[in-house]
This record gives sequence, structure tokens and C-alpha cells, in this order.
Amino acid sequence: MQLCIKSSNCMFLAATCAAVLFSMIPAAAQTAAPRIPRMADGKPNLTGLWQAMGTADFDLEDHSAAAGPFYQLGAIGAIPPGQGVVEGGEIPYKPAALEQKKKNFANRLKEDPEIKCYMPGVPRAAYLPYPFQIIQSNKDILFAYEYATTNRLINMGKRQEAATDTWMGTSNGHWEKDTLVVDVTGFNGNAWFDRAGDFASDSLHVVERYSLLDANTMNYEATIEDPATFTQPWKINVILYRHREKDARLLEFKCVEFTEQLLYGDLVRKPSK
Amino acid sequence: MNQRIFLISGALAATMTVATLAGQTASAPVSKADSKASANAKTPWGDPDIQGTWTSDDTWGVPFERPKNFGTRATLTEDELKARQKTVSNSEEFVETGGANAHSPAVAALEAKEKGEAPPAAPQGRFGRGVDSAPVPGHWGEFARRPSHQTSQIVDPPDGRLPALTPEAQAKLDAKNKLRREAIPASYTNWSYYDRCITRGVAGSILPVIYGNGLEIVQTPGYVAIRYEMVHDVRIIPTDGRPHLSSNIRSYMGDAVGHWEGKTLVVETTNFLGDRMAVGVNGDGGAPYSEDLKLTERFTRVSPNTVNYEMIVDDPKTYTATWKVAFPITQEPGYQLFEYACHEGNMAMHNMLSAARMEDKKAAAGSAAGK
Repeated sequence: MQLCIKSSNCMFLAATCAAVLFSMIPAAAQTAAPRIPRMADGKPNLTGLWQAMGTADFDLEDHSAAAGPFYQLGAIGAIPPGQGVVEGGEIPYKPAALEQKKKNFANRLKEDPEIKCYMPGVPRAAYLPYPFQIIQSNKDILFAYEYATTNRLINMGKRQEAATDTWMGTSNGHWEKDTLVVDVTGFNGNAWFDRAGDFASDSLHVVERYSLLDANTMNYEATIEDPATFTQPWKINVILYRHREKDARLLEFKCVEFTEQLLYGDLVRKPSK
Repeated sequence: MNQRIFLISGALAATMTVATLAGQTASAPVSKADSKASANAKTPWGDPDIQGTWTSDDTWGVPFERPKNFGTRATLTEDELKARQKTVSNSEEFVETGGANAHSPAVAALEAKEKGEAPPAAPQGRFGRGVDSAPVPGHWGEFARRPSHQTSQIVDPPDGRLPALTPEAQAKLDAKNKLRREAIPASYTNWSYYDRCITRGVAGSILPVIYGNGLEIVQTPGYVAIRYEMVHDVRIIPTDGRPHLSSNIRSYMGDAVGHWEGKTLVVETTNFLGDRMAVGVNGDGGAPYSEDLKLTERFTRVSPNTVNYEMIVDDPKTYTATWKVAFPITQEPGYQLFEYACHEGNMAMHNMLSAARMEDKKAAAGSAAGK
């Protein structure tokens, strides 16, 4: 090209030409991946404020609308209906574990870690009804969840084994093409999956897959494996949406103080009569 | 040797090697010895790179306020430094020989009983109530790896001491102290926000204490994030020039916005919830700050393993002048953050309240018998 003097101009012209040529191809014939934000190294950039829609936190499985535990809350306290996010429809519990899940639900007001503002574990953190912020660096990736100020760092370097069992587990990540794959082990077995009492033991192993569908939506898939609780590994699929409101930010939901009267109220001195 | 360090040193050393390499620009190979290059490391998008795991451990043992005999002298003499070196080594020994087990009220009471002595008075403050009263196993303890030259953490005013409180702030401090020192606590609200596992606030999250002094910085274009180990706090700091949130949105950690001034990250934090936390140790040492508090922090990487940290405290409703804290935070081989599930494991709150209600019953029975 004769107009091309500096190499950067050449590239600019070449890019323009390519764009023009590309736009002449009928849309239907284009199979190119949608435009997604990328880091300087070409990896998808997942940085942003994300949140799941739907009712997975109420129940991962298909469920009808139902009354909530407190009639005083009326419609606010009711359970909205939802189509399940479990591949195949049902969680493959072992018989004893299914009984435990039912017990969990029956005792949920005392037992659900979400009621007590305990850390949500994985995968529940991804589909809680609160946003979470991803900060993707050129090294590791930070996930900061609004609920209970929970956060976890995805180690993108050499694999690190869990030094001890924790609520959020130990997360090792790597890229498979444009998908962030996070292998999570070292759980303490205390977290639940939802308000329906779904749960796992401390032998839980979760593999999460985060794939941008376009700039503002992301597919979240988690494979859940726990031979102590399930007859086979199973998967959930949830879509995560980017908060696009002007200046949307992760806010602070430190819920501990909203649980203290529930947890310790019976031990507070009663006013003398 | 700190057991935590022992556990993970191998893996982390490997990660840190990788991280250091990644932090250097690909075009210009930099020799390991060239520390200036590392201190000036840039992210691929051109911001100064202050990422990594840092700890305020080296300021362990430096008084928050300067003892009066030092006057306006900000650094130790060589002799004083040698004396502090001894304390630093002692604290290492303290950790290796069982740590604060020896300082726990429960252990002290037991030892007194064995010796046939009267049990010691219940301690206050450090090793007093709440989290601080728990016997801390030695391997939890952290200590300075090298003695600090500073005579105090407060560097301004020049005497290294807190400016005078306003009368309103003094009244709030007195009320808080009364609440904390009630002989038989009535409620969980008698304890600090840290003991309640809510938060230690911005200042409390970085001022050094007996353990959990680690923080981790993660950067991406337009943001710097800081996560603190203790009580798993986290701050997402936009650096793209956006203004603060509406003043109607308030929080414990406040609303932080940042920008780069040369190689320094400047973070301004406002929108705090007032009359709860203090700018002091564990977010409870000192007078509760007002909702007008503004903190200005500066993070400057001055060497590969050192970031100079400073925090200017501006709250005219509480302090009659602004004041400043400054100390270095360092990267240490093998130092790693762990999940600090404070509230989830807060059996202490239940037990302390349960014991307090038992004390109430005893007191009631005693006064009934006395009638």
C-alpha cells in the first residue's frame, strides 16, 4: 500500500480493510465469536460486577411457588417458582444424603448458613441474590462477593494444594481457550448449596467454568463431585449478567450484625421488670 | 519456625518467582540484582505494580503513640535499636516456645491455682476479653523480622501523639470504655466490632497486632483491590477518576476511590458509618470516629519487597487536628493469606454471654440470700 509509511499506519489500514471486507460478508455467514473484553495478553477479561438472575439460591432443582416460613412477611417472604439449574433435573443423592437434605430443609431456620451470615461456599457464592466483583489481574484473579464480604483469590500460578479445609475452599485456576476453569478443593463441608437444604460433605470437589457469551453475559458451569454424598458427579448451569447501571459498584453487606439477635438474643440480659 | 510458613513456603516461593518474572517488562530483561527496576515495576497496562502479599509485621512492637520521653525524636538511637532487636528476637522465641499460651488468662489462672496463689485479676485490652482473651497457639503468632527504627506509628503531629479530642469525641470515648469495662456484660454490644467478627475497619485492618497482619493487593486496569486476612475484609478501589458514592450510602469500610500520583497509589475513603469504630488497633482502640471521617492513604513501592504506607486521618468532629500514621509493609518469603472465618467460628461470643448470664444468676442468688 503506497499510503503506508509507518508500520503502525500499515496495521491501521490493514485493519480497516479487514473490517470493511468483514462487514461485506452476510451476517448469517459469520461464525466469528462475539466481541468480548480481553486483557493485554489476549485472555478474556472477566473484570466486572456480575450477578445471577433466577431462583437457584432458593432451590437448585425445579420448584413451584410456595409460602415462606413467616406469614407476617406475606408475598415478600414467599418462595418464587423456578426452573432448576441442575443438568438432568435432579441431584443424584445417595439415599442417606437425601434424607439429610430433607432434614436440613426442615431445620433450615436453625441450620441454613445463609441465615447465619456464614460464608456461602462454592458454588453457592456464584448465584446468591447479591452481586460479586471480579478483579482480573495479569497474575491471580480476585472474586469479591457482596454477601458477608466473602472473597477468594483464584491462584493462576503453580497449583497449590489446600493447606487446610475452609468454607470457600482452595481455588486453582487455568485457562482452557477462552474459559476460566477453577478447580476448588479443601472444603470444610459446612456450606450448603441453597435454601432447600442441598449440601455436600468435606470431600466435595468443584470444577467451575466461566465463559463469556458476549461482553455482558457469562456462562457459569459447575461440576460437583462428592462420593460421600452423591452417586455420581453432576452439573449446574447458571447465566451471570454484568451490572451495566452507571457507576454500579460492589457495596458492603456485612450481615453479621443482622444475625446477632438471632444467634445470641437468648443470652442477652433481659430488662428487669 | 512458624508452622504456617513451614507449610506453604515451598509452593509460595515458586509462585513468587513466577510473579516477579511476570511483573517485569518482557522487552527488557532485568537482572535480579537490579532492585530499582523491581521497585519501579509496571503492570502490562502501565500502572505502578504493587501487587502481591504484604504484611505490617515489621511494625509489631512499635508504639502507636510515641512515649513522651522521646519528645519529637522520630527514630531510635543505635543503642535503642539494639534493645528493640532483642525484643524482636524475644517475640520470635515467644512464638516458637508456645506463644501467648503463657499469656492467656485461663492459663494464668490455672498456674496460680497450682501454686496455691489467688487468681490474677481479669486483664483488659490485649489478652483481655473476646478474641484477645483466647489462648493463642504459638504458631499463630506473628512478629517483626527486623527491628523498626520508628519511635511511634504516628508520625504527625511531630510529637507522635494523637491530637486532642473534641469534647463530643471524649464523651463518646468515655461511654465506649464504660460499656467495654462493664463487670458483667449485658449483651454482645458490650464487645468491639472486631470481637463480634463484623470488621476491624480500614485502619484496624492494617495496624499490626499479634497475628493476621497480611493483606493482598490485586490490580486490573481501572481498579486496585485490597483483601485483608483478618475478618476477610476487602476493598475494591476504582482508579478511573469516578467520584464517591452518594453520601446516603455508608459502610464500615467506607467508599474508597483512588488515583496514581507518579508511583504512589493515593486512596481517599469517605462515607463511613460514624460513632462505631475507631482509627486504632483492631478498629476499637481510641475514640469512635464520626461519619465525617476522611482517610487518605498512600502506597509507594520503594523496593522490591517494601511498600511505604501512610494514612492521614481527617475528622474535625473527633480530632482537633489531622494526624498521620506511617510505616512500611513488606513482602516476606512464605507469607500467605488464609481464610479467616471469624464469625463462623465465634464460639467465644456465645460462651462469654452464657457465662455472663450465669454470673447474673449468682449475683441475684447472692443478693436474695443477703436479704
